[in-house]
Amino acid sequence: MRRAPGLIPVLLAFPPEAARQDAWGRLLKLTSGGAELSTAVRLLKGETLLLAFELGGETFDAVRARVEHAEDDADGHRLAELKFLDEVQRRSLAKALTGLLARS
Amino acid sequence: MSAIGLLAAETGDREELSLLLGELGHRVDGAARLDQAVESARAGRSRAFLVVDGGGADAEVLTRELVRAYPLMPVVVALKTRDATRAVALMRAGAFEVVAPPWTREDLKACVSKSLRFTGTALTPMRLAPRRRSSAWYVLAVGAFFAVALGAASLRRAEQLRRAEAARVDHWDLPVSHPAGLAFDGADLWVVDWFSQSLYQHARADAKVLGLRHLPAETPVAAAFATDAVWTATADGAVVRRMKNDKLTPLERFPHRAPGAAGIAFDGLYLWTLDAHAKVLRKHLLDAELTVLSTHRAAGLKPVALVWDGGALWTLDAGDRLLRRLDLEHPEQFVAAIPLPEYGDGVFAPTGLSWDGERFWTVAERRDGKGPARLFRHRLEGVR
Repeated sequence: MRRAPGLIPVLLAFPPEAARQDAWGRLLKLTSGGAELSTAVRLLKGETLLLAFELGGETFDAVRARVEHAEDDADGHRLAELKFLDEVQRRSLAKALTGLLARS
Repeated sequence: MSAIGLLAAETGDREELSLLLGELGHRVDGAARLDQAVESARAGRSRAFLVVDGGGADAEVLTRELVRAYPLMPVVVALKTRDATRAVALMRAGAFEVVAPPWTREDLKACVSKSLRFTGTALTPMRLAPRRRSSAWYVLAVGAFFAVALGAASLRRAEQLRRAEAARVDHWDLPVSHPAGLAFDGADLWVVDWFSQSLYQHARADAKVLGLRHLPAETPVAAAFATDAVWTATADGAVVRRMKNDKLTPLERFPHRAPGAAGIAFDGLYLWTLDAHAKVLRKHLLDAELTVLSTHRAAGLKPVALVWDGGALWTLDAGDRLLRRLDLEHPEQFVAAIPLPEYGDGVFAPTGLSWDGERFWTVAERRDGKGPARLFRHRLEGVR
């Protein structure tokens, strides 16, 4: 596992039925299957959200994810474990991660 | 406490944020312009920047400049208007955290403390999402671990009990009441019963009667199986050599060669007889006369049986309930003894002894003469 020079910022959007404002956060961990997210917004287990972030110059928009686990961290932010739901997006992410790690 | 460089164009914002940061225990170096903030940081006082976006200041530009000047110093941006896209853009510009309005002590505390100890995103092409286990998962995992451990321990315990069960002393009541000797032919046990003048063949596993050899011409008191013959001793002191066939056909008779015989053993070269009355052991040469080569006092209180285990002679003592291993050079001495606690209650008196290659067997009659005889299989513990 490699570590990026900074935490990747991510825009959080919610399905219309959730009636929630867009929010933002940071990815603490990122894999092709999911991510660990730190955010000030309160996320609940089972919630679905759409992520938008950049990785190695490539933009990922509306990456569908589900909250598998969520808890408050020591600073009062929400620490959420996300699972990416779309197989195509997973593969794209895996390709981007592999390329990025191969270059670095 | 850390010093925070505060960059806000409006005085009201500076005062509000200075108050909040002061409540959090931070020292604040306020600045209205970028050059003031840079100058303050150059003096080495600040560990992080808090920049207000709005009010005539573009935090994205300010953040880029601050990050360019101090790449290792985290920048937190406080938005005056909530805008997620703007927040992400600011973070891409270099802001570590973005605080949404209204500014609260809790939000500022979380953002500032995080920015003071930031690290990068961990990247891996692994397919699965990193699992963060809930406490219930850990409880279940620990429970499963203990269940498996307990299961394994139970199985081990059951196996130990099974072995202990197999290793414990077994005994079986016999269909005879007056056994005088015991022998082993390599597969089965033979109980010599003087009253019925018979040899009873028993299975070693469960003492089941497999056969019966009636010897009407004599009263057998002891027997021993050799490679090519069966030796029996009779109550009148004779020794008989027999064929190893179904009828135990007599081949040769040696009268008065074993007076008072209670036990007989063949060590592969010599025949040994035990005289229980005289308490002596006799060593016989296998010649036409069954010549007595030597006579030795038998150790113990009341030796009643004799066996060769393939390496040594053993006697069974009904007086002190001991098995004695004899010194072949000096058979009147013994070199080891095994107690037989099975006879501790005094109900049975041992009369015959055998060795099946692994364990000792004895046969005994009730001291009151009422009831069946008993066959014992012994452990090999307690050698002294």
